[in-house]
Amino acid sequence: MNDSLRGPAQGPLLEARGICKTYPDGQVRALDKVDLAIAQGEFVAITGPSGCGKSTFLNILGALDRPDQGELFFRGTSLAQHPSLDAFRARQIGFVFQSFFLLPALTALENIQVPMFEGPIGPIKDRAKKAAQLLDLVGMTHRARHRPSRLSVGERQRVALARSLANDPVLLLADEPTGNLDSANANHVLDLLIRIREERGLTLLMVTHSPEVSQRADRVVRMLDGHVVSQESPAISKKN
Amino acid sequence: MHFATLIFKNVFARPSRSVLTILGLGVAIGTMIALLGISQNFDTSITETFEKRGFDLVVVPGGMVDQLSGKIDESIIEQVRQIPKVSWVEPALLEVIDMEQRDRKPGESTAPVMTVLMQAWPPANFDRAVSQTPKDLDLTDGRVLNADDTGRGRLMLGSTLAANLGKKPGDKVILLGKPFEIVGLFKSFNVFETGSVLMLLSDAQADLDSKGKITGFSVSLQKGSDPEMEVEAVRQAILELKGKDGRQVRLSAEPPRKYIENASHLKLTRAMAWMVSSIAIVIGVISMLNTMIMSVMERTREIGILRAIGWPKRRIIAMVLGEASILGLLGALVGALGAIAVTYLLTFSPRVNGFIEAGIPLSAIGLGLAISFFIGLAGGVYPAIAAARLLPTEAIRHE
Repeated sequence: MNDSLRGPAQGPLLEARGICKTYPDGQVRALDKVDLAIAQGEFVAITGPSGCGKSTFLNILGALDRPDQGELFFRGTSLAQHPSLDAFRARQIGFVFQSFFLLPALTALENIQVPMFEGPIGPIKDRAKKAAQLLDLVGMTHRARHRPSRLSVGERQRVALARSLANDPVLLLADEPTGNLDSANANHVLDLLIRIREERGLTLLMVTHSPEVSQRADRVVRMLDGHVVSQESPAISKKN
Repeated sequence: MHFATLIFKNVFARPSRSVLTILGLGVAIGTMIALLGISQNFDTSITETFEKRGFDLVVVPGGMVDQLSGKIDESIIEQVRQIPKVSWVEPALLEVIDMEQRDRKPGESTAPVMTVLMQAWPPANFDRAVSQTPKDLDLTDGRVLNADDTGRGRLMLGSTLAANLGKKPGDKVILLGKPFEIVGLFKSFNVFETGSVLMLLSDAQADLDSKGKITGFSVSLQKGSDPEMEVEAVRQAILELKGKDGRQVRLSAEPPRKYIENASHLKLTRAMAWMVSSIAIVIGVISMLNTMIMSVMERTREIGILRAIGWPKRRIIAMVLGEASILGLLGALVGALGAIAVTYLLTFSPRVNGFIEAGIPLSAIGLGLAISFFIGLAGGVYPAIAAARLLPTEAIRHE
């Protein structure tokens, strides 16, 4: 791992400069010169209509995809030159997806250990211990030995949330994490995400359609047709 | 959780498909192990036939594709006995012949026939076979053929063959269309001999229209200070022998192990075993490829997630190859156990129990395990690479 990626925050934690992305068919320009800076510990919600480019942007911010143009900086260092984006994702980023994507053959406890194969925790015993602590954090200890098929959707998302924390990331990326949940479970998962972010000082970047979720963010970034059209703080908007 | 635990759980997450793949592979590997095992047993058994009897050279007609079908003039034996260092020469006439399986029923012109191996020796060979230590032949019932039996239609049966036919000394069997009296039963360290017929050479020559002919002979040498050199010297002397017409006799003379390596009918057996095994291996690879491609395709989103959370391509490849290898090794285990069971059961079948030895050599099982592991890897490589190449963003969107 590049040492500069581990160092203390100097300026934004994550910064996108002039990001462009066109899909291979060349017809759709999903992102057009998008700039965004995210500070350490900030909770940013990205919203916008379907097809506006927010998921594409999240994938690029999460180093899952490379931009056609523009650069992404993590703690001031460009990721374009990084030798392994796999290692960067494994150590620095936690992902929470709308459809949970737990491995069906593994128990909840085992699912949490899957990212740890590429993480900093060496001994297997320590990994199991860490996974148990994370299950406890999301209130799922009693379901540790259960496979995903025996968990409710809300429980699955809580296990997926615990999995995203397996390697102690500094940045949590969540793509519609409450999109498949009923309102009670959605609130529960959102409360958990916000509480964990506050307790651990995590930076949280979330794509969402939900105004209720956006209201709880530090900043809401609105996108339209591959552009960022506005950025505002819900707290300040409420005061005004 | 160990990485191996994850691989095992993935394999058995779809138990029906995994079990069917293991069974399919088991059949392929079992076929290979059984065929190669039988072929190896065959080679070993024939090698032992010569080596345990202390033969240093095996001489058969030279320049022939099927050495068993060639004949040598028996008169040459005397010349061989005169070669320095030669201590014993054992001529033999070998033939695969038809024997009636049971007594004829009233009105029957012939009973159903079976194919048996017939060996014919001169009387001196019989005396030596039962008198030396350890015994070549272990007489289990009756007596040994001797010179007085010449021309009287008598023979000996291997105990396995006798048991299959339900015969004992004093009974008759019909061989080459003629009745023969059984004078004794024997066991040999060689499974093929225990399932064979022994006759006097002169009787067999008469019945097979091969008067004065033999199919080969074996030679023992006096033990000297440089056995290899002495064997080579005698071998050269045999190759230079001339027949009654003064022309050089075309012979092949080789030490037993080399004879086994080169014998055309044994080569054919090995080639057949390998040919069928190769087909089984190809089927195994295709089956594995099919299973692993299906497995990777079904798990496209899972693999996308693993890539997203930071698994590098090499770990994805290791996971898929690990799954394929486990299937391969379990297939080999099933195949090896199946091959051992089938060859053991075959020894109870009268049709083949004179030709098949129970048990599979460890080398054949080892080879089966290695090839099955290779099948696993070969069948897993393409799906593993395909899985590793999946782009996380596209794989996650895959429906």
